[in-house]
Amino acid sequence: MRSFEQWAKEATDPEIAAGKPEALPGLRVLELSPGHFGGMVAASVLAEFGAEVIKVEAPGGDPARSYAPEGIAIAGTGLPFLSEARNRKFVTLSLEDEEGARIFRRLAAASDVVVETEGPARMDSLGLGYQALSRENPALIYLTLTTYGSFGPDAGRQVKDSDLLCQALSGVPHVTGDPEENGPGEEFQVPTKTGNWHGWFAEGLWGAFGVLAALMHREATGKGQMVDVAGADAMMKFVDYNITWMHTAGRERRRTGKFDPAVFPYTYIRCRDGHTFIAAYNDEAFESLMHIIGRPELAKDPRFRTGPDRTRIENEKALHAILEEWSGLRTADEILREIEEYTSKKSGHGAAVVTGRVNRPLETLSESNWWDRGCFSRVADPVYGNLLLAAPPWKMSGTPPRIRSVCRPQGADNEEVYATLLGMTGRDLSSLRARGIL
Amino acid sequence: MNGSRGFFERAFSLASLPSRPEALRGIRVLELATRIFGPATTDYLGEFGAEVIKVELPLTGDLMRYVAPEGFYWQDVSPAFLPQNRNKLHVGIDVRLPEGKELFTRIAQKSDVVVENLRAGTMDRWGIGYRQLREKNPGLVYAANSGFGQWGPYARGRASYDATAQAVSGMSAITGFPGRPPVRVGLWIGDFTGSLCSAIAILAALAARRRTGEGQMIDLAQGEALIRALDWTWMYADISGRDRERSGNRDVTFSPSGIYRCADGFVAISARDDAEQGALAKTLGVSTATPEDVAPFAAPRTCAEIVRIGEEAGFSAAPVQGGRDQYHNPHLRARGTVWELDDPLYGRVDEFGPVPKLSESPGRIKWSAKPVGYHNEEVFGGLLGLSEEEREELEGKKVIGKWADAPGARPPHGEAGGPAGGGEKEGPAR
Repeated sequence: MRSFEQWAKEATDPEIAAGKPEALPGLRVLELSPGHFGGMVAASVLAEFGAEVIKVEAPGGDPARSYAPEGIAIAGTGLPFLSEARNRKFVTLSLEDEEGARIFRRLAAASDVVVETEGPARMDSLGLGYQALSRENPALIYLTLTTYGSFGPDAGRQVKDSDLLCQALSGVPHVTGDPEENGPGEEFQVPTKTGNWHGWFAEGLWGAFGVLAALMHREATGKGQMVDVAGADAMMKFVDYNITWMHTAGRERRRTGKFDPAVFPYTYIRCRDGHTFIAAYNDEAFESLMHIIGRPELAKDPRFRTGPDRTRIENEKALHAILEEWSGLRTADEILREIEEYTSKKSGHGAAVVTGRVNRPLETLSESNWWDRGCFSRVADPVYGNLLLAAPPWKMSGTPPRIRSVCRPQGADNEEVYATLLGMTGRDLSSLRARGIL
Repeated sequence: MNGSRGFFERAFSLASLPSRPEALRGIRVLELATRIFGPATTDYLGEFGAEVIKVELPLTGDLMRYVAPEGFYWQDVSPAFLPQNRNKLHVGIDVRLPEGKELFTRIAQKSDVVVENLRAGTMDRWGIGYRQLREKNPGLVYAANSGFGQWGPYARGRASYDATAQAVSGMSAITGFPGRPPVRVGLWIGDFTGSLCSAIAILAALAARRRTGEGQMIDLAQGEALIRALDWTWMYADISGRDRERSGNRDVTFSPSGIYRCADGFVAISARDDAEQGALAKTLGVSTATPEDVAPFAAPRTCAEIVRIGEEAGFSAAPVQGGRDQYHNPHLRARGTVWELDDPLYGRVDEFGPVPKLSESPGRIKWSAKPVGYHNEEVFGGLLGLSEEEREELEGKKVIGKWADAPGARPPHGEAGGPAGGGEKEGPAR
């Protein structure tokens, strides 16, 4: 019998995904997410699994195309949009125009899923709310993504959903970063957001999850439904045990920086070439780590003998300094090698010494592991050139996800989509174009 | 507008929710997993009606039971164990023993999904991995959640925690302030993001199975899920040859959007398009707003004042909330995002509720986590049809069992009985 690892690679390697069937073929998704990265993520996930996603942009292009950190854009489209525009068809349509809104209704009637980020008030004012669209297509699954959601006392708040709002309300910044020691401190001793758009990303992922759950219900009953995701709720769900701790003890999670209230060491430490993660928090693993750093006597030091001893804040500080005396003289790779050499001879709890370099993005890109695993893809497009994308994270043996395209200009698929779905002729399209509707 | 308000109040009413259908009814999920990345995956499926059978080692069970914040247990359960273990049937099986493997396999034969998060290859070595189970149940969807995947250079025996994923993915390197060290996000974000990705893939695989009848294996590595989540980081590195810098609390795409100190805490001020940028600049009395303009505007005002000014002027603002704010937030309670649960064993428990709100087949929390082996009779007797004698024999051989008499594993003090109406007669496992 082949080794499991060999078998698993042969069964799930993304290299061979293109020859396999897809999970969601024939599922048509209409995406209306102007300026909204979370809506793009939700649609991308469905598209990676094989859904046909039609992205509707205003005739001038989606405002998100102009998002351009450091001003970097390719053919007028910035990197955030390019990194999340995969596997779509691109049509233009002015919803401000009554005829445009009517065309959107016809597209929705021919679709399985609508993804929208404009919110119920605006969609209703355009005649494109869930109630209107579902009357014409009762099997429609209608995903709406907004900061506060479609119902509840704050649902009417006038905000434009953004990663930052989702993050702030989620509670993630509240527990991230360095605490103040005595009153307002340094500029960095504040609630800290994640560097990436994780709020938007979580919002989109939950949206895709909701659509897939609704699809299960539709298979059983034939009924569509509305799926309401609040961006604030999305990443909130990831803040560990915040609500149960409040309920049971009246306590909430707070920022602890590099220290940890429950387990130590479980922290980043400085090393010769940057920083690395180190964890060895059960007694046996801690003893292993003290052997590895050449200080076996510290396992019996009264400050560090038990878990509760090690998690006293003054002892965490002392231990952190001791670890950095050792790690400061070594590179992250040397630390990994020393730890693996020691723990490979151990089993059970004593082997639970865990490390990993705090990679800068270019360091992650330089490690062959991620390329072997198919985590990154280079995709060429005649307009945008050869671009690097993060690939779908799922390796699947039967119906693997895949990247089929990186991005297209707005309206690139107008002819195909409007002709095949709505039976429009070339003359219809010219007329709509002339009136600024396409 | 009012019409649609009325529709939402009806469609998403928490009061009528218990009588609504469930989206994943009839899907049985078998979990052999510990801590977060695994248990949270099945919890997300369980919220929408999947029946989740959580297998734990008799006596101690899932080691997450003993991750107690500041050593605090409530009614002998850790509040950190509860959030990712709701709506589950808890059984105690020692899957390392031959008869334990056989029991596990028998449940897997009656299941639609298996979720595990052991080190890569462990289940296969034990004879209960995907290769063995699919022989018995070709329709099985099998999710293997891990740190570095089931194959590849880092897969071989390399252990991983949440923070390993945050570190190796590049996420920490872009989080934090310029000139300061990289910051680990203060929650298990790699575990939870990975768990949600795993649940998504399971639903996609179930959709595929309806057409083909075939199951499949899903290999999900948590570091790889975080890599996928880093938006423009990779394209930027590739094109510029540079690392994306840490930018603290500024969103550099929408400058001066960011988190600012205000009179009573911290506030997020957000301007994602020209209209909002213009409104913010006008409020500040400048032509183009910079962070240096926003900071002195925010500092003397309360968060509520800034939110109101934003609503009137046309830019967005929101408070930087913590758990305490969320727990007491009427909006979150009205949405069931903070879920008020009456648990048969623990009484009132407030928990995180389902995130997506479905108008026809809404998610729900039906009961909270339970002690090790709490549902042994229901699953071994009901689902597998084992007689009382057979169950006693397996217990005697320590193949199946219940909780240790210790905080974290056992029922609340003085509550050694079983579920309401259940047939449990005995106390702690011997």
